[in-house]
Amino acid sequence: MNRFKFLLAALLLGASPFAMAKTIEMDVNGLVCGFCAQGIEKTLKGLPATEGVFVNLEHHLVAVKLKDGADIDDAALRKALKDSGYTVVAIHRTEHSLDEIRQQVKRGD
Amino acid sequence: MQSLSRWAAMALLSLLPMLGMAKPIAFAKGTTVMAEYGAGTMNEVQLFYAPRYWYSAGGGWLELTSEDGSKQRHVTYLRGNLLVKRWNLPGAQANVFAWGGLGRATGNDFDASTLARNVGVQADYETRRVYGAFRSDLQESDRYSHRIDTLQLGWAPYKHEYDTLATWFVVQGRHYTGDLFDGTETALLVRFFKRGAWVEVGTTTDGKLQAMAMFTLTGLFI
Repeated sequence: MNRFKFLLAALLLGASPFAMAKTIEMDVNGLVCGFCAQGIEKTLKGLPATEGVFVNLEHHLVAVKLKDGADIDDAALRKALKDSGYTVVAIHRTEHSLDEIRQQVKRGD
Repeated sequence: MQSLSRWAAMALLSLLPMLGMAKPIAFAKGTTVMAEYGAGTMNEVQLFYAPRYWYSAGGGWLELTSEDGSKQRHVTYLRGNLLVKRWNLPGAQANVFAWGGLGRATGNDFDASTLARNVGVQADYETRRVYGAFRSDLQESDRYSHRIDTLQLGWAPYKHEYDTLATWFVVQGRHYTGDLFDGTETALLVRFFKRGAWVEVGTTTDGKLQAMAMFTLTGLFI
């Protein structure tokens, strides 16, 4: 019975949105042109931990949705953006989904 | 005869491609394909592949035809483009590019083919509402030599987003110098782009239509 409770707790913890960051948000300098920013999306989608990418020019924002249980360290993110020709100013992790971030920027939060 | 040659040279130069001032390197591991049409008297196709975001290499084909169709030149070339310096700023970007290439030029106004040489530099600055670029391009061979300096100033009526259509109005001034022709012309252009597709249409002040389409593709498409 104790073993069952432990497994249940582990499953619930694993399923919790707070167990691990879902999304990485980056503040990026030089984001002025959708035509050129394609390279960022392409590079980040090529990383094995990436499930989705959202780019917003107005907020200088690049957001990466991570696959379950996966992460990308800051150094790899900075390198990916540098190799795309852009400069990362700040990185932070959030529990928000890409859709929530899209809604936030749409509302102008 | 001398005046006829001069007229022919001026006519040919007036038909030179109104090259768009897009960046010569789009993004790393991307292929850029460009096709341009100029008043039925100029055609150009370019293809560049960028292994890294700071350089690309490729080639192109350029056809120039005089208005009466009596004179025609073809240049086939290989060219390398280099991003010399980039400044990434909050809400803005500035770049300096340089390029150089070699090719073969043929024409019905001279015998056989000749080695064509090309060097150039471009500096640009853009936000999502304003755009400025200066470009200097030197085209040379044993048969011709000229330099084209181009200044473009652009204004966007609204800020585009990554996945929405961008619209720009661009005023272009172009100055020709060299041993063939000296002169300046002005053009008005409207430019649209969205993601990997770029279309530009405009007219010079003397009514010559120009159009350009450019596409960037992921990967190597050669």
